[in-house]
Amino acid sequence: MQARILQKRLADAGHTVRWAENGALALEMARERRPDIIISDIEMPVATGYDFCKAVKTDSALRTVPFILLSTLSDPIDIIRGLDAGADNYVTKPYEPDYLLARMQALLATPLDGSDDATAATLEVSLAGQKFKVKAGRQQVLNLLVSTFENAVSKNQELVVANQELSVARDSLQKTNEELVTLNSEISRINAQMIRDLEAAAKVQRSLLPAADVNLPALDVAWRYVPCQSLAGDFLNIFPLDEERVGLFVVDVSGHGVPSSLMAVTVGRFLTPKVSDSSLLVRQAPDGRVVVASPADVATQLNRLFQADEFSGLYFTMLYGVLHVPSGRLDYASGGHPALVRIPAGGGPPEFHGAEGFPIAFVPEVEYEQRSLQLQPGDRIYLYSDGVPEAMDKDQEPYGDDKMAACIAGGRAGPLDQSVAGLLEAVEEWCRPAGPLDDVTILGVEWKP
Amino acid sequence: MDQFRRIQTGKKGDIFMVLFKDKKILDDTMLDEIRTEMAQLLGKASGPDVLLDFSNVEFMSSAMLGLLGQLHRKISAGQGRLKMCSIRPEIFQVFKLTNLDKLFSIHKDAPTALATFT
Repeated sequence: MQARILQKRLADAGHTVRWAENGALALEMARERRPDIIISDIEMPVATGYDFCKAVKTDSALRTVPFILLSTLSDPIDIIRGLDAGADNYVTKPYEPDYLLARMQALLATPLDGSDDATAATLEVSLAGQKFKVKAGRQQVLNLLVSTFENAVSKNQELVVANQELSVARDSLQKTNEELVTLNSEISRINAQMIRDLEAAAKVQRSLLPAADVNLPALDVAWRYVPCQSLAGDFLNIFPLDEERVGLFVVDVSGHGVPSSLMAVTVGRFLTPKVSDSSLLVRQAPDGRVVVASPADVATQLNRLFQADEFSGLYFTMLYGVLHVPSGRLDYASGGHPALVRIPAGGGPPEFHGAEGFPIAFVPEVEYEQRSLQLQPGDRIYLYSDGVPEAMDKDQEPYGDDKMAACIAGGRAGPLDQSVAGLLEAVEEWCRPAGPLDDVTILGVEWKP
Repeated sequence: MDQFRRIQTGKKGDIFMVLFKDKKILDDTMLDEIRTEMAQLLGKASGPDVLLDFSNVEFMSSAMLGLLGQLHRKISAGQGRLKMCSIRPEIFQVFKLTNLDKLFSIHKDAPTALATFT
């Protein structure tokens, strides 16, 4: 294959080419018709390039034919062996055809002096700790030496070019690397900014929660709030609305993350006990008295406020109650929120109390229903988000209303706070090992007039 | 007509039949995909009748209800009708908990639902 490519290249350069597939055949061919020059591989079947060369150089009719060995020159000993075989020139592989043609021209331009053989002397060469005895003529030694040197120069030039290319590649890599470092620090900066923003947002959200020391007369209050991400869609609160009434709610905005938490904060602005333009819970009558809005009105108004021209798909559920503390009467309304659980002080089974109503922002222009519940002294009520009954275990089984009610009822003899903590613990236990996938919010209130 | 990733679609007369392919409809990315695919499907259809089949759905997030609410409003506004069918009990619980079982037209299975379109 290689021979064929070379043959074409030499023919193109005006030479007549004959070729053989091994040294033995080539020698016969050369004896048949004397060539001007011989080019031979070293690795060949039957007779190696060295054998072939030696045979040519010891043949009286052929010895003045210049002989080029194509070598990979992996070992300096190759040079010695070439010398010993009588080769005139080395061309190292891989080679440029032009380089080989130039070597051929040089050899053909200076015919070999056959008489050189007479002066051939046996030289002793020491290489790699080995001594070699080589019989070679001066012209041959000189030619071979020059070709070895030229090969080295040629290889060196290739190395210089390769080195330059490497240098360019290295510069470009370095530049890319610098760009990556810049990009990386930019990402870190943005990430740090986002973490700060999230922390700030989470702080705003915590402001929607009850004060650390909720202290309401005749009421015991306990709550837990565990967002499943840094920003939650849930929130709750309980606070006095006027001298006799207390407002309490749990809100659960659909989804999680930034959009949901933004909506939660916006909803929170309307659910404030401070008389203001934004409060839907209380307003001041012209005579200065504080008027407390009914839960159904609050739900209806919230629903009206959160209607956009085009529904974004974001909505919230809410259970809002107003407890008249002196009488123990709880008025409440629900916007698609799970029913509250009452644990009667008398020891009866847990009761679920819900009200009809679509989630808020979901359906335009709907009226919300209001219901009332008369508490008995010592009764407890629990409001919660659907993250409690809908909490999934590893087999995707929901925790469910029954287990929830049983868990709450089981804690009726102990302190209120312990019963709320116990329910949270039970939910977390249920969700092991993955943990709850939704925000978990629980608010417990005991009426003890 | 099966060119979508999240929904498998077909037509029965003038009614668009939509089958949710996923078992779990939970994350926001998936919801966005469903939203986009539904918009592509219904395109400029005026007052379309649509049946959503939940046979494959085993879990869905509360945000999916929001998406259904969006579809419900858009379709109702165009005098179309949106109906749902084959909702398994666990999923139906989510509708019931939020009272939305009373807003949406929910049917046992596809044949029952289709019969109510006439």
